[in-house]
Amino acid sequence: MKNKLSAAARREENWGWIMVAPTIIGLSILNLWPFVQTIYTSFCEHLGFGHYRFIGLKNYVDMFSNTEFWKATWNTVFFCILTVPVGVALALLVAILLNAKVKFKDGFRTIFFLPLVCAPAAVAMVWRWIFNGEYGILNQILGQNIQWITSSKTAIIAVAIVSVWSSIGYDAVLLLAGLQNIPKTLYEANSIDGAGKVRQFFTITLPMVSPTMFSVLIMRLMASMKVYDLIYMMADNTNPALGDLQSLMYLFYRSSFIAGDRGYGSAIVIWTVGLILLVTLIQFWGQKKWVTYDI
Amino acid sequence: MKRIPRMTAAALMLALLLSLAGCGSADGKTHLTFQIWDVAQRASMEAICDAYTAQHPDVAIEVQVTSWDEYWTKLEAAAESNTMPDIFWMHTNQILYYADFGMLADVTDLYDDVEPGYYQNHFSEISIGNASGSDGRMYGVPKDKDNIVLVYNKEMFDAAGVPYPDADWTWDDLTEASQKIYDATGKYGYMAYNEDHLGYWNFVYQAGGCILTEDKTRAGFDQPATRRAMDFYLGMQKNDWCPDQTYFAETQPGVAFFSEIGSMYLEGNWELMNKSTSYPNMTGKWDITYLPKCPDPASGDGRATMSNGLCYSTAAHGKRLDTVLDVLKFFGTEEAQNIASSYGAAISAYIGTEQPYFDAFEKAGYDLNLQVIEDQFDYSVQCVNNSARPKWKSPVLDELTKAYNGQSDLDTVLDNMQTIVDEATAAALSK
Repeated sequence: MKNKLSAAARREENWGWIMVAPTIIGLSILNLWPFVQTIYTSFCEHLGFGHYRFIGLKNYVDMFSNTEFWKATWNTVFFCILTVPVGVALALLVAILLNAKVKFKDGFRTIFFLPLVCAPAAVAMVWRWIFNGEYGILNQILGQNIQWITSSKTAIIAVAIVSVWSSIGYDAVLLLAGLQNIPKTLYEANSIDGAGKVRQFFTITLPMVSPTMFSVLIMRLMASMKVYDLIYMMADNTNPALGDLQSLMYLFYRSSFIAGDRGYGSAIVIWTVGLILLVTLIQFWGQKKWVTYDI
Repeated sequence: MKRIPRMTAAALMLALLLSLAGCGSADGKTHLTFQIWDVAQRASMEAICDAYTAQHPDVAIEVQVTSWDEYWTKLEAAAESNTMPDIFWMHTNQILYYADFGMLADVTDLYDDVEPGYYQNHFSEISIGNASGSDGRMYGVPKDKDNIVLVYNKEMFDAAGVPYPDADWTWDDLTEASQKIYDATGKYGYMAYNEDHLGYWNFVYQAGGCILTEDKTRAGFDQPATRRAMDFYLGMQKNDWCPDQTYFAETQPGVAFFSEIGSMYLEGNWELMNKSTSYPNMTGKWDITYLPKCPDPASGDGRATMSNGLCYSTAAHGKRLDTVLDVLKFFGTEEAQNIASSYGAAISAYIGTEQPYFDAFEKAGYDLNLQVIEDQFDYSVQCVNNSARPKWKSPVLDELTKAYNGQSDLDTVLDNMQTIVDEATAAALSK
C-alpha cells in the first residue's frame, strides 16, 4: 500500500514538490544553512574577517560563567513578563472595542494600526525624547524628574512600554479578525438564555477567539524574546543602565559585531533559540487546557 | 481586447530590461564607490572626487555616508565577502586590525615614480604613524590631522566674572572656574563624561601616564600617573557643577553646550565648522582654547592633546585596484589636500595645506581662536591604538561604566581594564 501510487498520483506529487521548491530552496539557503553555520560558529573562536578556529565548548563555558550573560537572560525573561500578558490583554480589549458599534470605528482602527506602519527606528527616536529625563514631555506632565532610560530601575519598563505600544495595533487586528468570525447567532442564543455581557465574554468570546489568541501569544512571546532593535535605538553604549536593560539579542549584537567575538555571540544565539523552543513547547502543551478549536 | 494585456506585458518587459541595462556601466565609465562616516565632510570629499574626475572623465566616484556606529559593522562584513567599497576612510582605532590581517592595499610605493620619500617629505610623523600597519608599511594615504580643544562659553565666563581660559590654565583652574560659573549662573561647568578620545585619554597623557605603553604591548592603567588622572576625571562628576553619567547617556555634552546649559567641554577640531553652522545663534558667544595642563605631572610639562588622523584606504584585492590606486594617489597630492582643507571640516595632513582650513572660518565669519589648534600640534600625542583595539574598546567602556554607575570602585575597574587590554593584546599578538 505504501509506495503504490498510480502514475497520475505520482505526477501530482512531483508537481507538488516543484510548487514548493522555491520556498524550500529559499528557506534552506537563507534560514537553514545559516542556522547550521551558527551552530558550528558557536564552537569556534573568531580570528577576524571570517576566519575561525575550532575551540570546542569554550564559548559555552565562558558564557555560563559570565554574570552579564545571566543578567541578560533574566532581562529577556523579565521583558517578556512585562510585555506579553499586558500586550495581549490590551490588544484583546482594543479588538473588542473596535468590534463594537462605535462612531469613527475606521478612524480608530487606523490610529491603533499606525504604530506598525512607522519605522521602528523612528518610533524609538520619538519615545526617546518623550522619556528624556531632562526635557522629556512625560516628566513635564508628571512633574517628576525620573531618568526613564538611564536609571537601572526604570529603563526596561520604558522599553517595555514602547514595545507594547507598537505591537497592540497588529495584535488587535489579528484578534479582530478572530472576533468577527464568531457567529452572531451564538450571542443571540446566549442573550435569550439571559446571559449578561460579562458572562458572554467568558462563555462565548474568549473560547471562540482562543485559537487566534494562541497564535498571537506565540508570536508576541517570540518577538519579545528576540527584542533587540528597540534597545539598540533607545540606549547608547554609554548608558549606565545598559547592564539592567540589555537583552540576549542585544548582548549577542555587542559580542558579535562590536567586540567582534562571533563565536561567543553565536553561543548566545543558540542559547536563545533553545529558550524560545522550550517556551514554545510549553505553550503547545498548555494550549490543550484553554484553546478551543471546536464548539 | 486580448491584445492589450499582452502589449502591456511586452512594454513592461522592455522597461524592465532597460532598467537592468542601466545597472551596468552603460556610459562606459568606471564607477567607484567611496565610503565615509561624516556627513559634514561629504561636500569636501565630493569636491576632491570632482577634481579627479575632471581630469579623468572616464571615472565616476560616488560618495556614500554611513553613520559611525554602523560603518565598522558594514565594513567588516564587506571585508569578509571581499565586497568592500572601492575607497574608504580608515581610522586609527581599526587600521592595525585591518592592515595586519592583509585586508588593505599597501600604498607605501604609491609615489615612488613621483618623488622618493614622498610621505616623509610631506606628512608629519604622527600622520604617517596613523596610516601605518604594525609592519611599518603604509596602508592608507594620510587624509587629515586633528587634535582636541577646550570649547567654552564666553557669556557664562563673563557672568561669573572669571577670566577666559588660556594656555596657562591647569586642572585646578578648570574645576575652580566650573564651581564659580555654577554658583553664579546655575549652568554646568566642565562636562566630563564617559569618553576616551575626547575625554580621559587627554588627561592621562597630561598627567604623564599612558593608556598603552610605548611598544603598545601592555596597557598603562596600572601606572600611578594614569590612575591619578582617571581618579580626577571621574571624580569631576561628583561635583554639582558636572552632570552625572545618566544625564550624558541622553544628552551629549555638545548638545548641552550649544543649548547653553553647560559652559565647557572637549571637542575635536573637525567638529568646529559643523557646530558653527549648526548653531548660528551661538556665533560670537563661544570660543576655543588650549586643553588645561596637569599642575603636577609625573613626567612631561603637563600639556597633551590627542592627535588623530584618518587616511584613504582601499581593499588589498579590489576589482578595480589600478584605477583606485590612481585616485588615492591624487587624494594625497597638495592640490587635493588643499581642496579638502578649504571646506573647514578637517585640516588636511599634507604639510602646507592647513591654511585653507583656517581661511574657511574667516570666510564664513566665524571668529574662533584657531591658532590654538596649530600650537597644540607641537605637543600632541598620537591617538592610542594597537591591533587589538577593536577587541578591547567596547569591553573597556563597559568596565568603566561600572565605575560611573557605582557598581564597582575605580581601583577594581582600572585593574580589570588593565587585564582586558593586556589579554586582548596578547591574544592578537600571538595570532
